[in-house]
Amino acid sequence: MLTAFADPVFDSQRTFRELLQAMARPAVPRRLPVVPPSPAAVAPEAMAILLTLCDAATSIWLQRPDAEAVDHLRFHTGLRLADQPQQADFALIDDPASMPALACFAHGDPRYPDRSASLIVQVNGFRTDGGAHFAGPGIRDAERLSVEGLPSDFWQQRAALSTQFPLGLDLYFVAAQQVVAMPRTTRLLEA
Amino acid sequence: MTPRYNFAFLDEDTKRMLRRALLKAVAIPGYQVPFGSREMPLPYGWGTGGIQVTAALLGPDDVLKVIDQGADDTTNAVNIRRFFSRVAGVATTEHTADATLIQTRHRIPETSLREDQILIFQVPEPEPLRTLEPREAETRTLHALADYGLMHVTLYEDIAQYGHIATSYDYPVLVDGRFLTSPSPIPKFDNPKLDRSPALMLFGAGREKRLYAIPPYTRVESLAFDDHPFEIQRWEHQCELCGSGDSYLDEVVVDDRGTRMFVCSDTDYCSGRRVEAQA
Amino acid sequence: MYVAVKGGEQAIARSLELLAEARRGDTAVPELELAQIREQLRLGVARVMQEGSLYDEELAALAIRQAAGDMLEAIFLLRAYRTTLPRFGYTRPLDTSAMRVRRRVSGTFKDIPGGQVLGPTYDYTQRLLEFDAVSVTPVTPADAPLPACMPRVLDLLDAEALIERIEPGSDPEPIDLTREPLTFPADRATRLQNLARGDEGFLLGMAYSTQRGYAENHPFAGEIRMGEVDVVICPDELGFPIEIGSITLTECQMINQFHGGNGTPPQFTRGYGLSMGEGERKAMSMALVDRALRCDELAESSHAPAQNQEFVLSHSDSVEASGFVQHLKLPHYVDFQAELSLLRTLAAQQTADTDETPRSIAGGAQA
Repeated sequence: MLTAFADPVFDSQRTFRELLQAMARPAVPRRLPVVPPSPAAVAPEAMAILLTLCDAATSIWLQRPDAEAVDHLRFHTGLRLADQPQQADFALIDDPASMPALACFAHGDPRYPDRSASLIVQVNGFRTDGGAHFAGPGIRDAERLSVEGLPSDFWQQRAALSTQFPLGLDLYFVAAQQVVAMPRTTRLLEA
Repeated sequence: MTPRYNFAFLDEDTKRMLRRALLKAVAIPGYQVPFGSREMPLPYGWGTGGIQVTAALLGPDDVLKVIDQGADDTTNAVNIRRFFSRVAGVATTEHTADATLIQTRHRIPETSLREDQILIFQVPEPEPLRTLEPREAETRTLHALADYGLMHVTLYEDIAQYGHIATSYDYPVLVDGRFLTSPSPIPKFDNPKLDRSPALMLFGAGREKRLYAIPPYTRVESLAFDDHPFEIQRWEHQCELCGSGDSYLDEVVVDDRGTRMFVCSDTDYCSGRRVEAQA
Repeated sequence: MYVAVKGGEQAIARSLELLAEARRGDTAVPELELAQIREQLRLGVARVMQEGSLYDEELAALAIRQAAGDMLEAIFLLRAYRTTLPRFGYTRPLDTSAMRVRRRVSGTFKDIPGGQVLGPTYDYTQRLLEFDAVSVTPVTPADAPLPACMPRVLDLLDAEALIERIEPGSDPEPIDLTREPLTFPADRATRLQNLARGDEGFLLGMAYSTQRGYAENHPFAGEIRMGEVDVVICPDELGFPIEIGSITLTECQMINQFHGGNGTPPQFTRGYGLSMGEGERKAMSMALVDRALRCDELAESSHAPAQNQEFVLSHSDSVEASGFVQHLKLPHYVDFQAELSLLRTLAAQQTADTDETPRSIAGGAQA
């Protein structure tokens, strides 16, 4: 069995602070301070997020419920596995190209829009010297970002969801020891 | 540090619960996220929401500032700072510019905040509609529908009766054009500082078990009408200690004939200006 | 010359010294031992455990001593300690029908299987102050031991189908109110949890109001029983139940009239109260308020405060209420200044409206 955070209290705290800043300043890659060991199906960056946020009170849907990953997550976090994307608090997407439609995940209740899923999406990489422009709360003017490895209709799907605000999904893209958060409020600006 | 308690008092399960709620709060600006508020060793109504948020954020590298009424030395601010020194052993400061985390009750510092700082508000009543509609089930529905007519009518009734909007603190704001939000009982003087702030602002209501957030660079409008624009308090006086003419002033009664003097409510801002003036 | 107030830290340190001195009182008088509090103030200990949501007589006694006998402060101390405790698991539901009864009375039947058992009660003490030291007379042994198991009085009515039946296991899994926020509408399990932690005085007043016409529901004390109940857990890794000890409980089942509605024929309905230790007043109050709060489910008209779940559940907790009421002694200089400034503006405006020459206004003016 692989180990998790070497220092659970402070590694979680440092990771959380980066996640909080990432969510508060969307579309900007931030370096994760600690990347723990992880089984093959889970990127170390995703593992850092799961160790920081998940426990027996949360459920997760795994795109690829590989036995080693399941055992590892259960042992270190105690989290519950969700059979259906709709039931999950968190979802781990390890192959974005074949991921289910965004509409399959929980978007919250009109009176409780926080009861919605957070998706951790393992992507191929980020570029900030090109790509689309993003705006919204947390972004002063606009940020440029290109996320590599997403399905071609990903942004259209997401734009379709945005009409339901405040219902929605919140995303964490991870790659190369970095995380980019994208809350439901971040808008992709048409070129 | 006091042994037998976890770092920053809260157990790790509780911190994770708070952290998940805070991330959702940031993702839905101005929306009140219910959370499993814990019973803290300080009384409800005395900053338990702010304390729980601070405890979920705090790390060994942080420098913490705590203010109440703008001042670092009011007894409750001292007590909260003492609590975190005791249970987390973190560095504390009275200087706004040196702090990474600032927990506050009723004020926003006069000194502009930076992107690398986080402001944490203590909130007694997170629901801006509560005095107009006591039932939570009902106010939740009004927020879901973005139906804020009740608030507009109330403010307009003030104008009809007094010629002014008679709300001077905890003045309601609309966050990113969607959620009607309580800025906590800050004077409306501080409301403009909420708009497009470089610093992230987090709000914790412990007794009411709600968290919410205003992300950086987010549009925050104080409610107003075309013929009655939003205005802040102004004084005919300047601070008698530092001479500031643009800060929020406390009125102090200095003798038994009722003589008044006016001094800055933000004690760090005031003493900084006095030090500068002497240099 | 005025200088900004400084010295909050010192003031707190001095205040704590004064508090410690006041708490101890005359040092010529021996300090209370926890065993004395536990043994001789057991009803106070029970209340602190119940509203502090922690069954630990030793810690409750410690809290009472530290709080100088202020029960609400002691409850607060225990709650603040309780939050920091890890959870190892959840017990099986307590089986109060298997209670080893020490007291059991019913107001509905003259005699019941197992009999009426007064047990240790203040009910018939005549409340004359006992000026002499309490001398313990040896307890007279009963002619025969109480039956090991006494049926619940309400089960007798159940056999005749005159009282609503609540099937075991029909309730949804309850939430843990100390870990999850209260949201509305709250189901019955959540309401009972809230009432169990609620302030006895608040519940007593609410319960009393239901008897005085605010949500009249004609209660009968079907049964009140007090005694010891086993606490059982069933750890996943063992797979079978084990008994980890026993606790003292007081249970009250009220029987209330119901005229029928929502497709249900007229029948008796239940109000339920449960309290740790000997807490009869609390358990009875809780049962009355529980029944009043069932008005929606039973399609009864609801107009009284005790039937309004948001009102009752949001204001029942003494730790929340005490904190918020007392927070008014914290400084509110800033908001008061804002209000002063506003009032002066309004006053100035009124003067200007009625008088051509406005007086100058002391202090702030609103732009």
